[in-house]
Amino acid sequence: MNLVRSELLKIRSTSIWWILALIYLPLWGITLFFNYIQSDALVNGDLGEVPADQADTFDALKDPDALAANLFTNGQFFGLMMVMLLGIIVVTSEFFHQTVTTTFLTVPHRSAVMLAKLVAAAGLGVVFWLVTTAANLLSGAAVLGAIGVDARYTGAVWEAVGLNGLAYLLWAILGVGLGVLIRSQIGATVTGILLYLGGSIGAVILISTLAGRFGDWINNLQLLVPSLASSLMVSGTDDLPGNPPQWAGAAVLIGYALVAGVVGTLLVRKRDIS
Amino acid sequence: MSDGQRSPTDDGQIVVSGLTKQYRNVRAVDDLSFTVAPGRVTGFLGPNGAGKTTTLRMLLNLVTPTAGTATIGGHRYADLTDPLRHVGAVLEASSAHKGRTGINHLKVICAAAGLPKERAAEALALVGLTPAAKRKFKGYSLGMKQRLGIAAAMLGDPRVLILDEPANGLDPEGIRWMRGFLKNLAHEGRTVLVSSHLLSEMQLLADDVVIIAGGKLIRQGPVQEVMGSMTKGARVRVRTPQADQLTAALRGASATVDVDEQGTLLVDGVDAPAVGRAALAAGVELHELSTERPDLEGVFLELTAGKAGIR
Ligand SMILES: Nc1ncnc2c1ncn2[C@@H]1O[C@H](COP(=O)(O)OP(=O)(O)OP(=O)(O)O)[C@@H](O)[C@H]1O
Ligand SMILES: [Mg+2]
Repeated sequence: MNLVRSELLKIRSTSIWWILALIYLPLWGITLFFNYIQSDALVNGDLGEVPADQADTFDALKDPDALAANLFTNGQFFGLMMVMLLGIIVVTSEFFHQTVTTTFLTVPHRSAVMLAKLVAAAGLGVVFWLVTTAANLLSGAAVLGAIGVDARYTGAVWEAVGLNGLAYLLWAILGVGLGVLIRSQIGATVTGILLYLGGSIGAVILISTLAGRFGDWINNLQLLVPSLASSLMVSGTDDLPGNPPQWAGAAVLIGYALVAGVVGTLLVRKRDIS
Repeated sequence: MSDGQRSPTDDGQIVVSGLTKQYRNVRAVDDLSFTVAPGRVTGFLGPNGAGKTTTLRMLLNLVTPTAGTATIGGHRYADLTDPLRHVGAVLEASSAHKGRTGINHLKVICAAAGLPKERAAEALALVGLTPAAKRKFKGYSLGMKQRLGIAAAMLGDPRVLILDEPANGLDPEGIRWMRGFLKNLAHEGRTVLVSSHLLSEMQLLADDVVIIAGGKLIRQGPVQEVMGSMTKGARVRVRTPQADQLTAALRGASATVDVDEQGTLLVDGVDAPAVGRAALAAGVELHELSTERPDLEGVFLELTAGKAGIR
């Protein structure tokens, strides 16, 4: 507990948390705007001739539960990236500023230090989610009102919001693992962002190309891409056609987080600090 | 928790035994053994790349030894329950987050070590950093950084202090302060192990020295003893207007006499009283008569000569 407190103080006593928050705020606003446009188009817009094979998908997205879930998890795409970066920085700043020496002198049990970092990062991820969600509940209700849909707070919606929280927690842990693997602050940050943005966009293109060629089962591969797994995990309805089930996304993400956390801890235990 | 109550085996003695560290291309520390006694300041000396930092880091569980052991008060560092209450270490000047204030740097450590956070301000006061407590580390001068490191080491009021070149970047006043500070800690019965390149400072500060080169132990012992064991003994400097006369008289007394550029006689083989007597007997006028003892620097250079520094 002392250790977690120390880790949280480390973050609070530097400017990183409000820098990330400042970057996140406009990104959150932009995604809210796009979600508004999209929801409006789905509900009120004339989508024209919907190809027969996509009609199911549109119907699923138009479902009020899905609309609400989408709005109440607004900002997820960039929010997850922010908590991942936070996780990365929790580790790499120790190497960057050479404070790792002091840290391990204070507590020679390195696994305990790593566990504290994982817990602190996960906790901060949850705080990030709480704040985002509070903002989303307000703005989401407003958007639903504006497009003429009754705000819905069904079990499926809350489930999506809860799973969104799990995603924030897991991405913070993934960030810590990535930070240990790539100790360089800049290296880890750049790699993380590239993997997150490029990885998910590239994978979407690759997977849909392959699916067009080899059949729909390829779509299941998107599970293996962490950022896609997490967006799948929170998609509000269980039965978006052609997609793997929600829980599978969660399982994959937990798997990645566990591997990142354990491998990171094992690496740190043996490493010479010089 | 364990404040004040230390087990009898925890006498604060440092024992390094057969310690070895093999890096990919270099044997940084090679079967090194020495002990450091409590209640004394021990200087840890060696040319650049001798393996001092590596040894200290192995002692503190930061670097894993290839072979051998290092214990503090009979325990490996990793086995200490409250390490900061036993051992304080100052390893490098820049080991704080640039954007964190000095006081927060110490509070972070207090939190992790389970020390009351009031210790942070106390430790800052101890090293005279109170005025800069709320300034960010990046605005600290080199000497202030060094003092912050010492403050961090003193947080747990430790029995043993380990410092790697703590005088780096300190001004003359700071060095004097540090000397008094460390001597005082040793006087209180604590163990103080300090590496340094400033040999004249070490001569003033250290009671014992451990000299290493090329990762191996060259000599360990009390400073006086190490200096006394040198091949070159004390030398007598004499200035006189009748140099030739005195030289002849001294050579008669089986001394060897050299002359330096200023015409000062440098006499080996006899002590200053003998030179004075010889001068009196020969009726030679003396303007200066002094004994030149070999200093630690000379001893160090002689001991480590040829035992290559940088590897
Ligand atoms: N992490 C490392 N990887 C490889 N070699 C290393 C590492 N750390 C130290 N060395 C090598 O080990 C040797 C001893 O280095 P060390 O830093 O212990 O010397 P030192 O006595 O502290 O020197 P200085 O007086 O310059 O501080 C050097 O040759 C150095 O290059
Ligand atoms: Mg060194």
